[in-house]
Amino acid sequence: MIRNLYINGAEHEITIAPGETLLTVLRRLGYYGVKHGCESGECGACAVLLDGKPVNSCVMLAAQAEGHRIETIEAVGQHPQQGWKLTPGLHPLQQAFVESGAIQCGYCTPAQILAAKQLLERNPNPSEAEVRDALSGVLCRCTGYLKPVQAVLRAAAILRGEEVAPVEAPESGGPIPAPAEWLSPEGGESDLAEGLTEPTFEPPAGSTGVATHTRLMPRIQITPQAEAYRSVGKPEKKVDAVKLAQGKPAFAADFEKRDMLVAKVLHSPVAHARIKRIDASRARQLPGVAAVLTWQDIPRVVYSTAGQSDPIPGPLDTFSLDYKVRYVGDRVAFVAAETEAIAEKALELIEVEYEPLPELFDPAEAMQPGAPILHDEPEYVNFGESDPKRNLAAHIHIDIGDVEKGFKEADYIFEGDYEVPKVQQAHIEPHVVITYWDEDDRLVIRTSTQVPFHARRILAPVLNLPVKRIRVIKPRIGGGFGSKQEVMVEDVAAHLTIATGRPVIYEYTREEEFIAGRSRHPMRVHLKTGVKKDGTITANAMRVLTDTGAYGCHALTVTGNTGHKSMALYVGDGPYRKAPNIQFIADVVYTNHPPAGAYRGYGVPQGYWPLERHMEKIARKLGLDPLEFRLKNALRAGELHPFSTAWSEGREPRPEIIETCALEECVRQGKAVIGWDQKYGREEWHQVPGKPHLRRGIGAALVMQGTAIPYLDMGGASIKMNDDGSFNLLIGATDLGTGSDTVLAQMAAELLGAPVEDVIVYSSDTDFTPFDKGAYASSTTYISGAAVAQAAARVAERIRQRAAAMLNARDKGLPPISPEEIRLANRHAIAPDGRSVTLAEVAHNALHHENQEQIMATASYMSPVSPPPFAAQFAEVTVDVQTGQVVVDRLVMAVDSGVIVNPLTASGQVEGGMTQALGYAVCEEMRYDERGRARERDLRDYHIFQAHEMPQLETIFVETFEPSHPFGVKAVAEIPMDGVAPAVGNAVLDACGAQVDNNPITPEKVWRALKPQE
Amino acid sequence: MIVEYHRPATLEEALRLLERSQPFTAPLGGGTALNRLIRGEAAVVDLQALGLDIFQAQGNSLLLGATLSLQKLLEQLGAQPMAGELRKVILHEATYNLRQVATVAGTLVAASGRSPFATALLALDAEMTLAPGEEILSLGDLLPLRTERLRGRLITQVALPLNARLAYEYVARTPADQPIVCAAAACWPSGRTRVALGGYGSAPMLAFDGGEPDGAAMAARNAYAEAGDTWASAEYRSEIAAMLVERCLEKINKAQEA
Repeated sequence: MIRNLYINGAEHEITIAPGETLLTVLRRLGYYGVKHGCESGECGACAVLLDGKPVNSCVMLAAQAEGHRIETIEAVGQHPQQGWKLTPGLHPLQQAFVESGAIQCGYCTPAQILAAKQLLERNPNPSEAEVRDALSGVLCRCTGYLKPVQAVLRAAAILRGEEVAPVEAPESGGPIPAPAEWLSPEGGESDLAEGLTEPTFEPPAGSTGVATHTRLMPRIQITPQAEAYRSVGKPEKKVDAVKLAQGKPAFAADFEKRDMLVAKVLHSPVAHARIKRIDASRARQLPGVAAVLTWQDIPRVVYSTAGQSDPIPGPLDTFSLDYKVRYVGDRVAFVAAETEAIAEKALELIEVEYEPLPELFDPAEAMQPGAPILHDEPEYVNFGESDPKRNLAAHIHIDIGDVEKGFKEADYIFEGDYEVPKVQQAHIEPHVVITYWDEDDRLVIRTSTQVPFHARRILAPVLNLPVKRIRVIKPRIGGGFGSKQEVMVEDVAAHLTIATGRPVIYEYTREEEFIAGRSRHPMRVHLKTGVKKDGTITANAMRVLTDTGAYGCHALTVTGNTGHKSMALYVGDGPYRKAPNIQFIADVVYTNHPPAGAYRGYGVPQGYWPLERHMEKIARKLGLDPLEFRLKNALRAGELHPFSTAWSEGREPRPEIIETCALEECVRQGKAVIGWDQKYGREEWHQVPGKPHLRRGIGAALVMQGTAIPYLDMGGASIKMNDDGSFNLLIGATDLGTGSDTVLAQMAAELLGAPVEDVIVYSSDTDFTPFDKGAYASSTTYISGAAVAQAAARVAERIRQRAAAMLNARDKGLPPISPEEIRLANRHAIAPDGRSVTLAEVAHNALHHENQEQIMATASYMSPVSPPPFAAQFAEVTVDVQTGQVVVDRLVMAVDSGVIVNPLTASGQVEGGMTQALGYAVCEEMRYDERGRARERDLRDYHIFQAHEMPQLETIFVETFEPSHPFGVKAVAEIPMDGVAPAVGNAVLDACGAQVDNNPITPEKVWRALKPQE
Repeated sequence: MIVEYHRPATLEEALRLLERSQPFTAPLGGGTALNRLIRGEAAVVDLQALGLDIFQAQGNSLLLGATLSLQKLLEQLGAQPMAGELRKVILHEATYNLRQVATVAGTLVAASGRSPFATALLALDAEMTLAPGEEILSLGDLLPLRTERLRGRLITQVALPLNARLAYEYVARTPADQPIVCAAAACWPSGRTRVALGGYGSAPMLAFDGGEPDGAAMAARNAYAEAGDTWASAEYRSEIAAMLVERCLEKINKAQEA
């Protein structure tokens, strides 16, 4: 039918199907700022303004919008510099989002800006609570909402004509000082900003109020070595922020290709079966269907979907399509059709006869003799101790010292059982890929991946193409969190492009993310700890049973890190520091659940939930201060990482000394900020006046993570100089919204004496950028950053040599200048006596005038060490002791991540990470019925935190200078995932004595834990 | 799959379309539940041009048009005795974007047992006006038989009592999550007290309707005695329902005293 839509001030007469959503039509018309995140209106990434009000276009028919004004992000603001044409520039909201660090992946940013625009148009002076309510309809998985809220308040002030303080530090361009109140002995109580009102959203019974205090810049204790930096350490704007604020077509699906087909996958409705018969003939005959592929139509190549370096440290147990299905959601057939509707219709026409096989859902039962075998395929390739005959995807046994001896030396033995659930990454941009043959008949794969180079290598044999005939392009990514460290959708589209010769797009629905995506591995954990009366840990043993689901992707390495990162933290005190007794044993087992995989934290949050709950219990049982007990036994600088000689992701382990560890200072700073001493053990603070059913509690957890995988992870960088003194920085590193492109540009800018805006970053294209292993293991700033620093240093050296020659040739009467005397700053090469040439003059000289050369350099870096970041996580909660309701009021995290390259992006990582981890603590889990069918299939049942229900978040950076890196950095991306859940669990214990050992901490679990005490 | 879209200009035209047996034809409010509810081939009748978005006090009733959006309702609520708690209910029902288009009647028709709005309106003994014929039907009668009662018919307005006080309490995993258990209590000046429970099943449940509040908490406990599913056990829901009802009644008492 023909309808008229009025979009951004222009009338469009278009033909639409009756059931076509406004989202689909807008994107078909090229309004790519409208994003697809779900199909049921829960995520809000698709929001547009309809007659000025934000509505979710995925649940509005295009026909419904006829007669209304539609406004998309494309109508809001313009790039301030468009050549000779004057533009009004960015909208103040866009500008505020750019400056405030409110944009991470940027996928939800257009929707947030539109919702905020409507708010400010009807209410120029909103309270923070009103801003949070206005943003409540747009889910963000990256930021924790703190900076977007602050950006809206900032823009509101600007639009009111008020002056606002610069985002930058008070001494612009200089180091950021720690706020004066940082070490306030009172600590604790942060005030609401002036003029803020209480939230309009009233939390449920059990809460004393959701705090809404926000702070843009984190607290930072700057290490002396970093004070002289000009670019590193500064809150530079993200290099991709301007385009993301405008909703430019930057993501994988924002791409037009003539004759593109839509792919759909038929997913298994049963958990375990052999495909007895499959008949796709009716589907193939449906008009508009270009191809239907079953296991009979494509080569049978065994591989692993885990995006890891070669050789993949796990079994090869997966086929693009198989004659056996192993979980509800497993692949059965691929379809490519002219439209999504035709493709879906074709799926219904595929006839499949399943021969049911016994189902296995309990990992303990899966290991029993006689249990049905999930992987009986002859092509299966073992790795390490995997054993498909026992449904064992991996087995790990690590002995450090002698735990039995340690237990004998202990005064007390503490044992406990804990469980952690399966949870989803829930990035707002679903998995999406577009494939097509280019003019050279090379296969181009434009995909939302964290691992473009691994994807190319893994896909080549699967597609029967040499690596050289595949190009993988990673555009902007709408969040990944490990889920896109998996080669999970690319082969579907690629097979269909090979079959049809045509471009193909395959995009997961939100339901597919839940039933066919990856997740965090659920685990059952037993801990046994020996402790002396004075609190010295003499031995610590962890036994883990992991459910990897139907396939073993990341099975070994995720669970290995559960032990490697968590069990390394407490070595014991006194003689045990040099000779700790630690044991870690794990079985990683196949079941008929959907496969688990990589998820930010990579096994480590699974380790810290039991460990830090266990430590809390021990401290309380022995009457010890829980933080002093932990610090007494915790790893310190100068000590050997106990696991470094025992295990290294399936490769040869080598000893590593901990060079930097500010854990004690993190505890001190975190305690001061949250007001620990005024709250912990103070009965009066635990009471809520007038509400005897409410109890406050405070808890903490100490954590450590890693920074890249030593002797393995490698990143490359290439820098070339342009005529105007700007630089192209080409990196294989994969920015998935974290800001890595920006921090890498900052490092280059630091060494090249240029502003960040003069460094043009292009990343992650296997044809044009150097190799990088990809975005995982918290490695980019450290590994890729070191490569960038080396490349930049080489370019800087060439600039200095040429500048010295230019100055000496120009100023013949003056003393000669040697290259090493020249420093690069402010776009100049400057001699000690003040004479200088500009970088543009150097570039022109090199490219056009004398001894012509392209000033450029490449470098790559691999690290022999993985310096751990450390952190102290604190939480405050209010518990309703009658209902078990837990409301988390405040999270404070003090982190030693080495030198902080960009405090805005780094604190954004911490805030967003704490928010994801908060979901892990209290609400997120994926459950299945007795036939393996998922309970959670959308973002309504799988609840992730919304803007208007957030606790107060605070970040403290305690810098150290890690000597193994040119800028002293360590990782920051994953460590925020580790401590929140146990800190919340410990705070619940502190509030009311409830011991909840299985997260998430739901109201009923707390209620049951309290029942025996009544 | 939606195969027809209609936007009638009159109620009569809408009813004519809804009376058809083929294709299956459903009224379309805001559309926020569209993807969850439409299965198979269907036609939709968009109600936006019918002017059914009134907000009007009439006698002891507050009349809400079927297509009044939750956001407009939120903004137009004034000092009615139930207004403060109803605002809280609406904020819990849907986020900002969804409230812009989610309609009063659509929210009730699409409600599961976990809907705060349906729970509250059940406690308030909301009455639907159905066309054709202006039949009055209580929400309690409608909820269990929505498909049958609404075949070929249309809710045109919802009436709430203006003289009733409302209280709403809930337990959820997070402040904005769907309730695991929620309770709404409404009290009239006559002493009549109604209690509805939500958080479970396909629709909220009326637990109590009496001349005074005595026994309401016990009734709630009994009403949810078998309300167990994977989100919570019946034992938990039953105990907490009673607790929340007591809190609701206490809240109403305090409001009355004030």
